[in-house]
Amino acid sequence: MAVNPSTGQGEGLDLSWLDLYDDAASATPSKKGMTLADINLGRYSAEARGAGDMTFRLRGAIPRPNAQRFGPNYQSKADVWAENCLMLYEEAVQRQWSSARDIPWETLEPLPDDIERAMCQLCTMLTEVEFIAGDVPGQWLPFVSAQDYEAGLFLMTQIMDEARHTDVFRKRALANGGGLLAQGAGLGLRTLIEARDFTEMSVLMHIQAEGFVQSMFRMGELIGKTEADKRIFRMSAQDESRHLAFGVMHLKYVLDTEPERREEIHHYLDKAEGDAAGGGSGDVTFPPVFEALCILLGGGKDKFDEGVQKFLLLRKRQVNEYLHRLEVAGLGDRRQRVGPLLRQFVEAA
Amino acid sequence: MSEAPSAPRTVEVPQEARDRARELGWEDGLIELALQQGHTLQEVWQALRAGVTGEQAKMYLARGARVVRPDFWWMRVPTEWGIRVRPKDPAMGLQLSDLMVGTYGDVPDVWTNRSEIARGSWPNPVVEDMGYTIFEKAIVWADCVVPLYEIAIRDRWAAATDLPWSTLEPLPTDIERAVCQFLTEQSERAYFEATMWAGWLPEISYGFLELKLFLSTVIFDLARHSEAFRKRALANGGGLGLQAPTDYNRIVKEARTFPELAAVLFVQDSMLLTLFRHGERIAQNQLERQLYALCARDRERLVEYQVERLKHFLYKMPDRREEQNLYFSKAEGRIAKEWRDPAVWEPLAILLGGGTDRIEEGRRMLLELRKAQVDDYVANLRRATFERKSLNGRLVAIFEEATAPTATA
Repeated sequence: MAVNPSTGQGEGLDLSWLDLYDDAASATPSKKGMTLADINLGRYSAEARGAGDMTFRLRGAIPRPNAQRFGPNYQSKADVWAENCLMLYEEAVQRQWSSARDIPWETLEPLPDDIERAMCQLCTMLTEVEFIAGDVPGQWLPFVSAQDYEAGLFLMTQIMDEARHTDVFRKRALANGGGLLAQGAGLGLRTLIEARDFTEMSVLMHIQAEGFVQSMFRMGELIGKTEADKRIFRMSAQDESRHLAFGVMHLKYVLDTEPERREEIHHYLDKAEGDAAGGGSGDVTFPPVFEALCILLGGGKDKFDEGVQKFLLLRKRQVNEYLHRLEVAGLGDRRQRVGPLLRQFVEAA
Repeated sequence: MSEAPSAPRTVEVPQEARDRARELGWEDGLIELALQQGHTLQEVWQALRAGVTGEQAKMYLARGARVVRPDFWWMRVPTEWGIRVRPKDPAMGLQLSDLMVGTYGDVPDVWTNRSEIARGSWPNPVVEDMGYTIFEKAIVWADCVVPLYEIAIRDRWAAATDLPWSTLEPLPTDIERAVCQFLTEQSERAYFEATMWAGWLPEISYGFLELKLFLSTVIFDLARHSEAFRKRALANGGGLGLQAPTDYNRIVKEARTFPELAAVLFVQDSMLLTLFRHGERIAQNQLERQLYALCARDRERLVEYQVERLKHFLYKMPDRREEQNLYFSKAEGRIAKEWRDPAVWEPLAILLGGGTDRIEEGRRMLLELRKAQVDDYVANLRRATFERKSLNGRLVAIFEEATAPTATA
């Protein structure tokens, strides 16, 4: 099937590219439309992935003999792949929402000053955290081989999701008589940017950081005081679920296909759990964030102690859900090795 | 510190906590004392992060107090307070443009904070450098990104469900293969361009938040284009053809700065916008007509950004005007080379002409289309206040040769 079209060397027709179709594809749409799963056929399928190359040739396209390389990218499927990325991409496209129009901003109502300030502080931290979560997949996309096309597409949806989260928390901070407050702690966020390997990044960002954020968002009914606030947390949680699902299934794929990487992955987690109690989710133990959460969870400054109790429940939930996700991915032994700042919250399996 | 509900009594104290305690003057054993009194390690860490000194901690633990009242200093930081933004256009909802008020709407010419701080919030006194490299507004900014971000979200579409897949009907073999070859190339170009913009996101500091948000929509748009092209190629008895040529994409990859990246991509972004605007001429069915129209609508936003960014850049950095000619010329030359590639021009000529047997007529039509692409490109540059006095010779040659009896498109 090799062809090497000449580039304007002669005046005649080449047309050699017309002879490349000995494996015709006729995908048919399913009830969800024409999905990536529907076109996952024959030599175009993820299962038929051949050796990678360092060009951006899409999986299934015929290589050009004179194609130039574009610098190193991951050559092994296990380095970036998650079996659910086809489905997650489609879900992401279908479930995009608009912070401008899908949040009932009109339901915002004046809140007690301490509550509004606490909400604005939390939003200040979240708007900061969420765009790091957009930069990070951006950093890795050029290294994802186009042989693992759908993993790349999924990361592009994540960038869009994180943009929307950045935007919605900023909007919320400025929409109800408040403003932005103190910068959140950068502890842990650097960890995400510092990752030197895709799997390291994915475990730290998708599973740990976004997992912690997800557990917080799922307590949004307690944190949010207005319907708009609650909706923001619900919609954001929906997006975070996809990112988490990608991370869990990526780690599972790595552990299934490259079990020798287990200790290496523990090593990344040892470092991250030791460096910051909140991992890359932004440090919820940073006083402004901790105190804001306690005020919101308790229902006011005067109920701070109740808030602390609920905060500890949140931490317990974060840690145990995190360990459960690792267990699903095949890293159940993390429970015995979890870092000291998190260990106190571990419930018996 | 509050009472711990059920913290385990024996915990390993991280070295980081011990180091921090030492910095704050905590005596050895004070952490263990706190733990013995029922405080969690979380709370100890909290106190350390809050800068509780050894003396304060000792006094607190000595009197057996249960709660250290936080002073909520973050409630009193002097950021702009009392903001209550409202949608100016109820049909569009609460937009980014509504947030451009007071200090929050002030996008500085030079952003100096090296951390990921949200613009308008109160900075931590000491932060790590997050590694951003772009701090000048003139490099990246265009005012239009603020409304374009919201428009991109409003105009989103899904390839799986917004295109009439069930209407596809078999096409003559040469036509189907031409569609597939054209879309193989375009799918790769869109995917590649998305990865390139994405790779630059971590370079841009947070002063230019709205620009980063807009670029995220561009990346998402290009993902959908790539996906939709691939789906169409695999949906009607064809498949993927030959990969795209690599000359143009290599110079995108080779860009050393954001202005170079933007200039090089300007050329292709403009050319592809014109191509998709003429999608009716190459589309073989309703699905393709809709697909190209949707892609054109998305690319209009990108080209709008490209034009406005360049205009702003040249206004702010007039000494860099001539330099841009180098990037435009390089990109024009590579595009011209790829336009001569048979796997690039022959499929288009077949689609325009209506079959392999009418490829010569298609070639003439393609030349007209190429002319329109170049004219629009020059016009877009002109809108950005940039006059290309002479286009790259390879590009010009395509049209000069057309006057010869055996011209190539």
